[in-house]
Amino acid sequence: MSALVNVVRSMFLLELLSGMGLTFRYMFRPRKTLNYPHEKGPLSPRFRGEHALRRYPNGEERCIACKLCEAVCPALAITIESEPRDDGSRRTTRYDIDMTKCIYCGLCQEACPVDAIVEGPNFEFATETREELYYDKNKLMANGDRWEAEIAANLAADAKYR
Amino acid sequence: MGEFWSGYAIPGIWIVTKILALLIPLLLSVAYLTWFERKVMAAMQLRMGPNVVGPWGLWQPFADAIKMVVKETIIPTKANPGVFLLAPMLTFGLAVIAWAVMPVGDGLVISNLNVGVLYLFAISSLGVYGVVMAGWASNSRYAFLGALRSAAQMVSYEVSMGFVIISVLLCVGSLNLSDIVRAQETVWFVFPLLPMAVVFFISALAETNRHPFDLPEAESELVAGHLVEYSAMTFGLFFLGEYANMILMSGMTTVLFLGGWLPPIDIAPFNWIPGPIWFALKIAALLFVFVWVRATFPRYRYDQLMRLGWKVFLPLSLLWVVLTAGVLVAFGWAPGA
Amino acid sequence: MPKLTIDGTELTVPAGTTVLQACEQLGIEVPRFCYHDRLQIAGNCRMCLVEMEKSPKPIASCAMPVNEGMVIRTNTPKVKKARQGVMEFLLINHPLDCPICDQGGECDLQDQAMGYGMDRSRYDEHKRAVPDKDLGPLISTHMTRCIHCTRCIRFATDIAGVEEMGALGRGEHMEIGTYVEKAITSEMSGNMIDLCPVGALNSKPYAYTARTWELVRTETIDVLDAVGSNINVQARGREVMRVLPRLNEDINEEWISDKTRFAYDGLRRGRLDQPYVRTNGKLQPASWKEALTAVAARMTSLGGHSMAAIAGDQACVESMAALKDLFRESGSPHIDCRQDGAKLDAAVRASYLFNTTIAGIEEADVCLLVGTNPRWEAALVNARLRKRYLRGGFRVFSIGPRLDLTFLVENLGSGPETLGAIAGGGHPFVETLAGAKRPMMIVGQGALARADGAAILAAAWRVAVTCRMVREGWNGFNVLHTAAARVGGLDIGFVPGAEGGLDVNGILDGATAGKIGLVYLLGADEIDMKRLGSAFVVYQGHHGDTGAHRADVILPGAAYTEKAATYVNTEGRVQQTRRVVFPPGEAREDWAIVRALGEAVGVRLPYDTVAELRHRLEAEHPHLGKRDTVPRAPWSSFGTEGRMDTAPFVSPIDDYYMTDAICRASETMAECSALFVANIQGATGTHG
Repeated sequence: MSALVNVVRSMFLLELLSGMGLTFRYMFRPRKTLNYPHEKGPLSPRFRGEHALRRYPNGEERCIACKLCEAVCPALAITIESEPRDDGSRRTTRYDIDMTKCIYCGLCQEACPVDAIVEGPNFEFATETREELYYDKNKLMANGDRWEAEIAANLAADAKYR
Repeated sequence: MGEFWSGYAIPGIWIVTKILALLIPLLLSVAYLTWFERKVMAAMQLRMGPNVVGPWGLWQPFADAIKMVVKETIIPTKANPGVFLLAPMLTFGLAVIAWAVMPVGDGLVISNLNVGVLYLFAISSLGVYGVVMAGWASNSRYAFLGALRSAAQMVSYEVSMGFVIISVLLCVGSLNLSDIVRAQETVWFVFPLLPMAVVFFISALAETNRHPFDLPEAESELVAGHLVEYSAMTFGLFFLGEYANMILMSGMTTVLFLGGWLPPIDIAPFNWIPGPIWFALKIAALLFVFVWVRATFPRYRYDQLMRLGWKVFLPLSLLWVVLTAGVLVAFGWAPGA
Repeated sequence: MPKLTIDGTELTVPAGTTVLQACEQLGIEVPRFCYHDRLQIAGNCRMCLVEMEKSPKPIASCAMPVNEGMVIRTNTPKVKKARQGVMEFLLINHPLDCPICDQGGECDLQDQAMGYGMDRSRYDEHKRAVPDKDLGPLISTHMTRCIHCTRCIRFATDIAGVEEMGALGRGEHMEIGTYVEKAITSEMSGNMIDLCPVGALNSKPYAYTARTWELVRTETIDVLDAVGSNINVQARGREVMRVLPRLNEDINEEWISDKTRFAYDGLRRGRLDQPYVRTNGKLQPASWKEALTAVAARMTSLGGHSMAAIAGDQACVESMAALKDLFRESGSPHIDCRQDGAKLDAAVRASYLFNTTIAGIEEADVCLLVGTNPRWEAALVNARLRKRYLRGGFRVFSIGPRLDLTFLVENLGSGPETLGAIAGGGHPFVETLAGAKRPMMIVGQGALARADGAAILAAAWRVAVTCRMVREGWNGFNVLHTAAARVGGLDIGFVPGAEGGLDVNGILDGATAGKIGLVYLLGADEIDMKRLGSAFVVYQGHHGDTGAHRADVILPGAAYTEKAATYVNTEGRVQQTRRVVFPPGEAREDWAIVRALGEAVGVRLPYDTVAELRHRLEAEHPHLGKRDTVPRAPWSSFGTEGRMDTAPFVSPIDDYYMTDAICRASETMAECSALFVANIQGATGTHG
């Protein structure tokens, strides 16, 4: 009996029609798309976007050249060189992130003992050349200065879960 | 001199005018068919579709056209340049030429050919040459495979299409497309010949290499098949040709089964609306189905495609021809009998 | 032989063994900070607590000698809790600055806190802070991190023999330091950095430049002196970041001298990274082809007898062998590896080796130093002498300048006449030697590198023979070298050929007189360049030092961290360096340069790879194939009896920190030299 029903269903293209019915109904559903450059979706405070090196409120750079981020980076995207600064403190002389290698896993910010390297909320940093994606310390510090308000707010929002 | 004007110039200008009057709306329709397809597909997939260029993305086809024209035409080193360039022109030219016999209204036809159906059928069958030439001239494995598939597919489905047309012709008794339309004044053939209409439409999908029979292009396996080496306007011509073919096939379906320019019911206010508008509306509805099918079904496997053509459609349409002829003879309904 | 039970296992150990050592024999790891194998036992960190049956409290296993019938448990909850308590106390004042601490990643406290530390502190009061001390240019201090294990104090007092470190104050006010702020005046001070279990004492030149986990470690040997200390060179990328000792009980135990440890920054500075050719009086950069062609043109135009080669102090056996082959094929007998002019006899191997071996010092009971300052010439030999001296029953005498060798040295005289007197048997010291069971004598280059060196060598031989220093199973005759290349050069016969070959003085005189037209310096910088006259000088080496300045053609070679090369230390022990980093720029391995030069001259040396070269060497000198062993050299007579000068012996090293091209390029060594040598030269009386 069921075989017969199947034959009839198939002969009258009922499966095909029901499929087409589904797509037709979907045509009138509300759209899910965001009109991206003009509308943007919500971002979690944990969103891992473009990197930034932060400063303390008194203007001193946070990074102490402990190289834990370099060690933990699974993509080997971070390169650090360090030496004592004139005042004897441990500082980086070079802090490079190859953004083309970075996989945005966020392990660097997890590893950082002083919250210096963070992945900020910015994800719109496409460039026209590859070279622009080799970030150096100046670029990262500039990012830190530019996004400090958002980064600090995100860290504060997420602090209670850490 | 007078003879020149009345004998050659005025008829010439008149024919050119008629051609332009058909061709310009046709090309515009092709352009907007791409926009329409993208919008409808987007809607069915809960997306927006083109919405940046102009209001609702209405200038999108023109943006695409400008891009196509401006881009560099690349001819692969190993390709045969003559055939390679000829193929898209052929495809596009054939898609346009077929419209010469298409009656868009009562008497509104460029050439009212007595064997219009045969002409249409012949032209649409020639379309496969464009694809085969492209596949061969590209000198690329993907393109060649795509062309082979396309040829086999078109041959397979044309057979059953031919039988479908025969069953229609049996009912009409004429090969003239306008006569076929007038024969449907009482009832559209879609009702008595429903299975044949369905077979014809599905075969039309296969004939135009549309989903779910787009095996010659098959992006995911053949990386666009015969189109793989084409770029810029050569690709553009293929593209235009394919969409023009879709419109042509919809037009054929309309003429054969949906009563051409006739209104659904011959009463006011339906018969106030001019025939060409009805014709266009019916084509638009069919094109919507083309898109709708694309948004709904996945691609056939090649052996399934062949099985459907040879083992289902061919026996079915053959059977139906016999049945139609039998019924017409038995009841004495045969035209001219 | 008391018998005891540890964690249910019975074992018998020699009396006097501590519980901790007994545990180690069983492979049980006992955490410790203050205990160290080679230092005296202090028992003040309390980390090594274990449980002992019938004892109400846990005991410090490092300080508890084994007794008959002891039952020890090392893995009970009580032990764990006790150690956790100790760890918590240690961490009260230890700052949590691991991320900026150079010890981070190789820190005993960090490691053991993983096992015994708590994840949070119960201590809310202020941590104590201790001002940092200035211990000189080698050691940086972060005294807040100090956990008062006193390893550094014990090292300075016992091993280095400078009683300059100590603890002041008690309890929380205890501070480690030099009583008055001063630099540590020891050639071994760097070892305190390794000993410090936390980051209180760190290497100053290395400070903050690298982390332990990013360094690539290569086990190699040191060639800055003739001891051949086993070292672990750690590099990042193409740069040597630091040098650490590697355990070798026969040579350096686990210490290395400060020069070995800190001279590595000389490897980055003043390097020759491309060939140069002198044109119009100025050295101009050139390609290898141009440089080799220039040398080859000069070599082919000169006859073999007007060419000479001198090998420097760091030349490897392979390059010397290749150069020797090249000069022999070119018909020149004038080659010499003794650039200081020492009258060493290449014919008798025992005459130029440290036959007793460095480890053998521990069996000696009398030692006579002849014209040597082992503290500067071979700091680790001196450390062995001190180790033997501290055990007692060991007297050290010297002929030469009065020295502060960190232990008591009885001075017998200052020059050859004292040696002559002993050799003649008319000196009271002969009786001391006669009464000794295992007497030894160390003859330094200060005694041999003089015009009457051969006569002094003969006198030393007579002393060794008359005082029975060479007996069954004991050879007390030793020559202490200062150059890593010397023994290797003598072994392969890089000495003047029999057919009228000139030694280094002959070569220099010949060059001054114009008879020698070409001098090939294989890293030889310590000769008087003025005496080279107008000769065409080819310098093959790695540093732009005196030799390179005088050179007409410079062929850039590899330093000891940049090639796999064979060296023979002063004992005659064959060892190999390994390549840590690549030579800079265009510089190449030395044997290959000589091989390429041979090709340019038209002399095809019969080896294409270093392996082929070594096979050939081992066929000619079988002992070169036996690495890391000291086969006993057969004893026979050597030296040339003759008249000895009366001039007193002078050590060849007048500045410990400035002995070769690498040290002279090193900023750290320059700082040390300015600080230490300028201050203490008079005090140690190196110049008598």
